[in-house]
Order: sequence, then structure tokens, then C-alpha cells
Amino acid sequence: METIKMKTINPLQKRRSRIFSAEARVAYICLIPAFLGLIFLTYLPLVGVLGISLTNWTGLKSPVFIGLDNYIKIFTTDPYIKDSIISTIYFAALSVTGSMIYSLFIALLLNRKIPARGFFRAVFYVPYVLPAAAIYVGWSWLYEGNFGFFNYVLSELGLNKILFIADSSFVVPSLSLISVWLAGNLIVIFLAGLQNVPVVYHEAAEMDGAGGWHRFRHITIPCMTPIIFYNLLMCLIANLQVVTPALALTNGGPGNSSRFLTYLMYDQAFVNYRLGYACATTLIIFAILAVFTTVLFKTSGRWIYNEGGDDK
Amino acid sequence: MSTAAYGRLRSRKRRDRTLNIITFAVVILFAILAIFPIWWIFRTSLMTNAEIYKYPPSLIPANWLFSNYEKTLQVFKFWKYLWNTMVIIVPSCLAGTFTATLCGYAFARLRFRGKNLIWALCVGSMLLPAMVTLIPLYIGWTRGLGFSDSYWPLILPYFCGGGAFNIFLIRQFIMSIPRELDQAATIDGAGYFRILFNIIMPAIKPAMIVVALFIFITLWNDLLQQMIYINSSDKYTIALGLTNFRGQLKSDWSLTMAATCLSFAPGVIFYLIGQRYFVEGITLTGLKN
Repeated sequence: METIKMKTINPLQKRRSRIFSAEARVAYICLIPAFLGLIFLTYLPLVGVLGISLTNWTGLKSPVFIGLDNYIKIFTTDPYIKDSIISTIYFAALSVTGSMIYSLFIALLLNRKIPARGFFRAVFYVPYVLPAAAIYVGWSWLYEGNFGFFNYVLSELGLNKILFIADSSFVVPSLSLISVWLAGNLIVIFLAGLQNVPVVYHEAAEMDGAGGWHRFRHITIPCMTPIIFYNLLMCLIANLQVVTPALALTNGGPGNSSRFLTYLMYDQAFVNYRLGYACATTLIIFAILAVFTTVLFKTSGRWIYNEGGDDK
Repeated sequence: MSTAAYGRLRSRKRRDRTLNIITFAVVILFAILAIFPIWWIFRTSLMTNAEIYKYPPSLIPANWLFSNYEKTLQVFKFWKYLWNTMVIIVPSCLAGTFTATLCGYAFARLRFRGKNLIWALCVGSMLLPAMVTLIPLYIGWTRGLGFSDSYWPLILPYFCGGGAFNIFLIRQFIMSIPRELDQAATIDGAGYFRILFNIIMPAIKPAMIVVALFIFITLWNDLLQQMIYINSSDKYTIALGLTNFRGQLKSDWSLTMAATCLSFAPGVIFYLIGQRYFVEGITLTGLKN
């Protein structure tokens, strides 16, 4: 009996494992690009950044291992790092708060029954598809110190003119306003989320006599928390890496007021060719990003509402 | 229905209508605010410099000076920059979309050893900010492979799966297609690649278009990498050309704004073409997480 059983089962197993291997072969062929990308564009460079950060490489002479000297230098003698961290976090805080409020507000408006919704969605979305460099150049004219539009409004209101991007105390808020304006993709994601909030919940609550505010507070917001989290995370990561406005417009100035961390790294690596030092800066930026992301993830359990059982 | 309940319903309806009208008014107001900067840039591009500095400024140019654009095109080599940008973007979009589809298919449909590990590495790379690998990649491309002042470092990464995020997007989309479709094809004798090309790809066309648009926007906005890898001015992209042009013509605002408007145009056109898919795809990215 034993042997017969074995005989009948074995061929089947063999055939199945052969099917597996054909399938696996196709899968590995399909994944060749991803393998290459993961190895050479992601994980090897990650090791590289760590390695180079321990050297004094300038790109001219061969690198010398100097241990943690770069990190010590950054924390003790670097003239920019402190201002840079502050301005980056300041920028990210303003931009993220502004973008989240603005995009959720617009999405709530567009979620109501209004005419030409598609058109308005496009209007709010369009800034996002314009090339960033052009946006900053364009806005620099609106922010211009004498004849710019914003200064015209200020003078109409009887206020003093502001230099905006040429004034160290206004440059970060001014750039944040642009980044809020660019939050069109957040609006589209929020809008999609709002349309997925089950209508039955609202109807049931309405039957029970819940008013608009209560329904918003106790149905819409809880149902939206996963999407709010997603948008918050993406927005935070993107804004902490801010560099384009500094490259296109301010060159880190006036003074050091817009010398954002990624710009600082760019400046060290590609203007001053201190590659080792810049890699150390990179890892510090990475650490800051990681701290913010972890905090966001750790606290998310407390305020994200998960519809029962749906954890896919 | 009692008269009281009927009255309540009617007052609710009336209140809803007023609320909708207010909403619409607020939407229009914000839409005007959102579009205003673009209009201001555009109207400046059509004015003489004297008109720009007039007080109070006018909202609409007195004469629509399209000749500003002719003047701009003499200094700002828009067509060349556009061509250069497309030389980077077109192959990147095609290759990125194709390889992302291959990888997404493998992760969504095929069973193989090490799938979970590779998937974890993929998702992990999504959390890794792009700026972290910038310097080693720069050294690798320029020192290791000798690509200095070249477009290859910008294009070749898209031959490697088009980024984990895009693979993720395609995978999610494929997983939403009923498996019965490919099972039926398997019974008819179709191989895995036949299934991918004849069944999966037609079904996920919207997702593929979205991935192409995402790659387009990423490259379009990536001033940092373009600055690092491209040095000579005849290889400039639109973003580099415009940044440089602004430096040259610091005070000639009407020409600078004309150049800005020219740079806006391709993005707007691309968006209008793909708008339908765009919204669909962005919606997916937000909801499937």
C-alpha cells in the first residue's frame, strides 16, 4: 500500500514543481530590471554613502579613511548646519500644515454637488503639472520687491512693502505659500477618499438627526484618517527634502535663510567637492527624515480608524 | 407624511440649496486665487516693460504683445531645450512604464522563490528618500561609467523598473483584475508572456499611462539631478535653460515671463491629453495604500 501511494503521488508533485520552475523563470526574467535597480541604484549606493562619509574624499585625491571626523565636524564647526536644520523644519512645518488644510478644504468643497466639478478639479490640479523651475521663476515676479503683485496689494492696504524672497525673515513663508499652491495632487487624493466614504453612514446618521458638523466630525473624518495619514506622510517626506526653490531662485539666501538641508548637501558635494563631508550630511538628513517618519508611524495607530477586518 | 415632517424636509432642501450656492461661490473664489498667479505671469508676458511698472497695474494688457514671444525665442532657445528635455523624457517614460509593468506582473501574478524578500526590498526602497543615494550615484555614473555631461544618468535608471512606487502601482492594478481571465488563457495554451501582453497589458492601460505621466512629472521637476549631470549649455533642458535665462535677464520681466509661459505649455498640454487617466491613477495611489 505504501509504495503504491508513493507512486501515485510522486509524478504529480514532480509535475507541479516543474510548473513552478517555469513560472519562476518567467518571474526572474521579468524582475531583472528591478534586481538591477535595487542593487545598483538603491542598496549599493546606500552602503556607498555610509562608506564615503567616513573618508575625506574630494574627488581629486584618493580617499583617506578618517572615521567619524566628518560627523564631529558637522556637529561642532559647521557654520550652516544649525540654520539649515531650522529652516528646513520651519519650511516643512508651514508647507505641510498649509497644504493639508488647503487641500482637505478644497476637496470637501469639490465633494459637494457643484456644477463643472471636473473643470474646477483641473484648475486646482494644474499647478502641479507645471515644471518646478518655471513656477519659481514665475512666482519670483509676483514676489518682486517694488512692482510685484503682492506688494501692490500691500500698498493698496496701506502697508509697507515687503521684499518677500529677498528678505531673510519672509523667504521661508513665501516659499511655503508656493508649495501649498502646488498641492493639487493631495486634493485629488482627498477627493477620491471622500467619494469612498459610504453614503449609508451619512444616511443613517441623518435619520438619527445628526447635523452636518457632527456627521463631518464623526463619519467623514474617521473614514478619511488612512488617506490623511498617507497624504501627511508623502507631503512631509517631500517637503523635508525641499531643494528646488533654493536651486532655482534663492541660492540658499538671503544670508542662509533658505539654505535647506538638501541644498546644503548639494553645495558641499557639487560646488565645493567635499564628497565625504557631503555624504555625512546626507546621512544626517536621512536620520532626521527617519525620525519624523517613525514618529508619524508610531502615533498613527492612535488616530487612524481601520474599518474592521480590512487590513489589506 | 405629516405637515410638520414635510415642512422640515422642505426647509432642509432649501437649506441644502443655499449651502450649495455658498459652496459654489467659495469654490469660484478659490479657483480664481489658484489660477491668478498663472494669469499674472501670462499677462506680464504680453506687456511692454513700461506697462509692467505702471501704477496701479492693469489686469489685462492694453495691447497683447505676442512679439514678446518672438523676442524671447531669439534669446531663450526654447525649441532646443524642449527637444533636449524630450530626448530624456520619452525613452525614460517608455522604458520605465514597460519595466514597471514586467515587475508588477511578476509580483502580482507569479509564484517564485524569494518573492517576499524581493518585495520587501522593493517596498523598503520606496521609503528611502531619493537624495540619500545622490552622491554615490553621481560618482558611479561619472567616475565609474564615465557619463559626464550626458543624459544617460537621467535616463538609464528608468530601464530598471521605473522606481518602486510605479512597480507598486502596477502591481495593485493587476491584482484587481480577476484571475479567471488568465486562467482561461492558460487553458487555451497561452504562456506567461502571452498572458502579460495579450490580457494583462490591455486591461491595465490606464495604470500604464499614469506611470508614464508620473515619470514625466518627476523628470520635468528634477532640477537638482539635471544640474548635476548636465554641464554644457547646448545640452540644457527647459528647467536648466529657464533658470539660466533668469540669471541673464534679471530685470527684463516681460521676456522672462514669456519664457516661463513657454515652459508651462508642454506640461499643460500633456495634462490635458492624459487628464482622465491622471485623476484615476492618483486616486489609486491614495486609496490602495
